[in-house]
Amino acid sequence: MLWLCITLPQLPLEALQCEQGERPTLVTVLEGNVRSVVCCNPAAERIGLQPAMNFTTALAILPEVIAMERRLTAEQAALERLATWAYQFSGTVILGELFADLQRARTTALWLEIGASLRLFGGFRKLIEQLEAELGKLSYSYQLGIAPTLEGAALLARTGVRVAITTPAALRARIESISVHSLNLDPWITQQLQSVGVRTVGLLLALPRDGIAKRFGPEVCNYLDRLTGAAPDPRPTYRLPPKYHARFEFDAEIHSTEALLFPLRRMLREFVGFLRARDTGVQKFTLRFVHRDTVATVIHVGLSMPDRSSERFLTLARERLEHTELPSASVALELSAETFAMPTGLNVDMLSGATEHGEELGHTLDRIVARLGENQVHGVKAVAEHRPEHSWTTAAAEDRRPPLDFPDRPLWLLPEPKPLQLSGMPALTGAERIESGWWDGGDVRRDYFIARTQQGAALWIFKDLRDGSWHLHGFWS
Amino acid sequence: MSASRAETLEQLARLCRNGREGPPPRVEPSGSASLDAVLPGGGWQSGTIVELMPVSDGIGELRLLMPALAKITQSERHVAMIAPPYIPFAPALLRHGLRLEHFWIIRAQSAADILWSAEQTLRCKSFGAVLAWPSAIRDREVRRLQLAAEAGSSIGFVYRPPSAAHESSPAAVRLRLQADAVGQLNVDIVKCRGARAGMSLAVGGLESAGRQRLTANT
Repeated sequence: MLWLCITLPQLPLEALQCEQGERPTLVTVLEGNVRSVVCCNPAAERIGLQPAMNFTTALAILPEVIAMERRLTAEQAALERLATWAYQFSGTVILGELFADLQRARTTALWLEIGASLRLFGGFRKLIEQLEAELGKLSYSYQLGIAPTLEGAALLARTGVRVAITTPAALRARIESISVHSLNLDPWITQQLQSVGVRTVGLLLALPRDGIAKRFGPEVCNYLDRLTGAAPDPRPTYRLPPKYHARFEFDAEIHSTEALLFPLRRMLREFVGFLRARDTGVQKFTLRFVHRDTVATVIHVGLSMPDRSSERFLTLARERLEHTELPSASVALELSAETFAMPTGLNVDMLSGATEHGEELGHTLDRIVARLGENQVHGVKAVAEHRPEHSWTTAAAEDRRPPLDFPDRPLWLLPEPKPLQLSGMPALTGAERIESGWWDGGDVRRDYFIARTQQGAALWIFKDLRDGSWHLHGFWS
Repeated sequence: MSASRAETLEQLARLCRNGREGPPPRVEPSGSASLDAVLPGGGWQSGTIVELMPVSDGIGELRLLMPALAKITQSERHVAMIAPPYIPFAPALLRHGLRLEHFWIIRAQSAADILWSAEQTLRCKSFGAVLAWPSAIRDREVRRLQLAAEAGSSIGFVYRPPSAAHESSPAAVRLRLQADAVGQLNVDIVKCRGARAGMSLAVGGLESAGRQRLTANT
């Protein structure tokens, strides 16, 4: 087993917002009756604010700092979305625990077993490159560590050791000089160790185990064994859900469509990670913009063919969003998809021009549908029916085979026959009687003619045989 | 001597075209020999915008394009009508030889949506021809459509009111359409790259088979 650990030191902040704000922003947590800073954005760090600082101190430094409350549900949701995304790189993904305490708030981690994926991705470097490229686009701050044990990989990630360690012996050699403060131990234990002169992991590992157990409890020994690989470390693996449902809770209400694009972009990229993991695509997904006091706005995004490009998803979603009036600010965004299908473009020969042709047609029509609406783009087909207004219908692309041979018809049909006031009888040609439809109540008895206007236009008119009135029904254009 | 010089120039022109714009434009014959004779390239040329200005509905303004549209759909390329004034009647389209699987109607409402849809479809390589009925169009927008048509090597047919014939436009071909009392379609060349403006052509022979029969009965 070879574990890649991704730690997310800024998750408390980044789970709540994904754009790097210009204004100093921090996340706080109340422990006992002291409010402390959990993490801060770069703008806040630049003016001297830092994690673990007392919030009162932070306020003294910058009274107008934007302070958010830590929200574990948002972090859990973000971690799960990330786990789903990570599945594209590994079949074994383990979710780390979320710790409510201040000390470990910045140690949230996610593990991927990469030993089995190395060959699939063409080696170590390629796998990491691809993973980092994708991870960077999701706009999370992260650190990576690679080791044969879960705790070992996490320790390397936390301490910023960017060297892949593949054997327990190498791991032990590598971590000996690391400070005990970096270990995933209760802070009072590391404090105690420090005070008796046990400053490094190497010194701690050299101590007799029963002594450690007696003094600090058996959990410490157990942790050290799992760290070095002396004891197994079984944990439940994360299962890929059959349907996709992701939620992003915002810290503040988002008012502008433009600002909604940040979380939307991240969510679509995570979604595409899920699709890659499942090796599939979607033809339809749903966005739900949750508002505080009104019913959520639901946008269905449909594609003409299955796809898994986050850029195309974003283009379509954006187009729809720009033409949707959100009733009020959004407090959360949900993305869900239930049915999946293999993207057509991917499982066929990429050199085949016909596919690219079809694909581009699909993308173009999708964009237009996204902007104009579902029913505004369609094909037509002819229907075997005598009544002209029923002899055609709108149709989907698959279903437009001509049914029968038709009598000659004008190219333009009016949506509704238009009553005509005839002053004199025009020259009429091409008489055709159409009588039909008594069985469904829409019966017609008409004599159709072609009438020529002075301008040379050819009109398709009929006399309604039931009341003798004249109507215009089309143009021989 | 001068003939070989002309050939060399033609070759050079072809070389420049090949280097810069890729393959030479496709040309769809209009179905009327007299019209093809004046149209640049000898027919409806891909990568161009053609403005059609019929004096009224029902004079053959759509029939004029049917041979080309039918051929385009038969060669697996698509045709879109954007904001048509009436319903393009499927039985008639079939009779004119259109393959309806490759025919699309886009019901854009606003002027901006109509032009945007026209641009999107023209730019898409899958479309061979796009017919649009914009409520208004400015020179700048015609140029945009022109670029889109070049990018997608498609033909853009833009229908405009007859009054537009008095305005100028960057479209490569501008045709005013009218019919005489017996329904003969006349095409006035308002502008045509490489041909003399002011010419008027009688265009016949574009009717579908059934209609020819009907008119013959009169």
